[in-house]
Amino acid sequence: MKLAALIKKEFFRFFRDPKLIATMILPGILIFFLYSLMGDLLWSEEQKYDFKTVYVGGESAIIQPLLQQAAVQLTGQEDWTLTPAEDVEQAKEAVREEKATALILFDENFDERILSYSPESGERAPQVRIYYCSADETSAAFYSLAISVLDAYESTVSNMFDVNLSDEVFDFSSEADVLVSLLGGFLPFLIVALIFSSCMSITLESVAGEKERGTLATVLVTSVRRSDIALGKVIPLSCISVIGALSSFLGVIFSFPKLMGISVSGMAGAFGISSYLQLLLSVCSVVPFIVALLTLVSAYSKSVKEASAYSGVVMIFVMVLSLAAGIVDMNGLWVAFVPVLGTVSCISRIMDLSVTLGMTLLTVGVNLVYTVVLIFLIAKMLSSERIMFGK
Amino acid sequence: MKEEIVRAEGLRKTFSLSKKQQKIEKTHQAMKVAVDGLSFSAYRGEIYGLLGPNGAGKTTTLRMLSTLIRPDEGDAFLCGKSIVKEAQAVRDCIGFMTGELKLESFFTPDYLFDFFGMMHGMAKDAVAERKRELFHRFGIDRFAGVRVGDLSSGMKQKVSLVISIVHDPEIVIFDEPTNGLDVLTAKVVTDFLAELRGMGKSVILSTHIFSLVEKLCDRVGVIVEGKMLREGSLAEIMDGRSLEERFFELYLATGGVLQ
Repeated sequence: MKLAALIKKEFFRFFRDPKLIATMILPGILIFFLYSLMGDLLWSEEQKYDFKTVYVGGESAIIQPLLQQAAVQLTGQEDWTLTPAEDVEQAKEAVREEKATALILFDENFDERILSYSPESGERAPQVRIYYCSADETSAAFYSLAISVLDAYESTVSNMFDVNLSDEVFDFSSEADVLVSLLGGFLPFLIVALIFSSCMSITLESVAGEKERGTLATVLVTSVRRSDIALGKVIPLSCISVIGALSSFLGVIFSFPKLMGISVSGMAGAFGISSYLQLLLSVCSVVPFIVALLTLVSAYSKSVKEASAYSGVVMIFVMVLSLAAGIVDMNGLWVAFVPVLGTVSCISRIMDLSVTLGMTLLTVGVNLVYTVVLIFLIAKMLSSERIMFGK
Repeated sequence: MKEEIVRAEGLRKTFSLSKKQQKIEKTHQAMKVAVDGLSFSAYRGEIYGLLGPNGAGKTTTLRMLSTLIRPDEGDAFLCGKSIVKEAQAVRDCIGFMTGELKLESFFTPDYLFDFFGMMHGMAKDAVAERKRELFHRFGIDRFAGVRVGDLSSGMKQKVSLVISIVHDPEIVIFDEPTNGLDVLTAKVVTDFLAELRGMGKSVILSTHIFSLVEKLCDRVGVIVEGKMLREGSLAEIMDGRSLEERFFELYLATGGVLQ
């Protein structure tokens, strides 16, 4: 009954304070909007340019249609054409004054000369001169377009061999495969980082804050067991942190396809229900461990400020372990027994679809064992007068 | 025959001093003896006062009795339970009231009373009955639904007091009971301590206010620098003079210096 009252009090404290609820849920919403916005910017359609007059001096029956075609594609204007330059100097002046977009000058007999040109001859290669204004965005865009068209043509003229130049499908990876490999590499770290920040925001305030304000001592003077006080913190704070972690997690999951330019349904199809459940299980099992770890740090600290400083150090360790799982090849069974590393490794395997149920259950079990050990240590700390009442 | 309900036997407590504290205390000693072999007895239905100047070891003694800290040496028995070996059982028979124990400002007196009632393992009905009685006695009922943070400091003190005795303890330990209180609240508190005595409860309080001891206490222990200078009934200690005169006589006789 005492434990139930302690747990109820933490929930009461949290759910009666709209500010605290907001701090748990807002990160997920912010992540969703931020990542979606980043995705929109990254994957937005190419900008359409409105080219003004582009003069052409000389002639190339090969290059001009290619340029025309590329420019029409970029401007979206079917009737756009290159304009023959009657007076080259006037055309240059028009470009300089930004009245025209660019001037292209082909050497005389350009087409014949490139077809008959041999680098071994030692002669100067036929030239294309493009006059433009790089300060003018449209002019610079046309210059880039012209260069890419000319480069592409040049490589076909001097072609020695091609790679994958046909309509056949050469990459056997499906969209889902690409997605899971992306998620496997990046998401585990992100998930652990989000869980940690979610746990930190409430645990420090609830434990170190209570100690600092002297309200924890009021509970210590009652006959409640220290282990009950420890459990009375870790259980509700874990449940609340799971809300925060899930909010952030859902924010990531729903915005990730946008960030990567992939459809939401493609993402949902990449994982089965079992993968989602195992992911949820891993996330939910690491939360009590991190909450217990932060409760231990908070119980040791004299104030929230001190607890924040210690938690910063703990966060570095947790982040290093999360990153290590992505960098180093973790294959042994021992990985599951290293705190955080085991969970990150398990999440990675869930993401790249190589996990087994046994591996997930082992990770969950290990997290629970570590949590129990930490709760025991917290109870010891709560009994220590040096830690609880030391000046 | 009076029933002995508190017996302290040779309580000793030392604290380590940081470099900064050593500088403040003007000493090179890394350890400070806060309480040095303190022994005394208190009886059922009596108010026992620990009288001494600041830093005499009064609060440390009360913190040991309330099991917040453990003595380095010695033991004390409250309701027959050892503070060293049966700390949890001791906590159920005492109510400890001190300025360092605070209530969370977010909660209401109503919620906190129920919560601490449960922390002492009380049944819901018993908590409700006790709440009605105490909230009415201290005029808290009108503020029962107001968050502690929004209460006046006098009302906060009253709420702290009723919560410390929610479980109707046999012994009430009170550190500086009138400190920081306005005259009206102080009167309510001292009257209540006398009422507790009338109900057969035992009160142990610490103070440096002579008039409070003269008004309330049945027995007195005079502490200076962690040592018990004299212990006995109020009449024995006063020995026909005022308590203030008697205290300074004892204090100066043991080499105490008035600065």
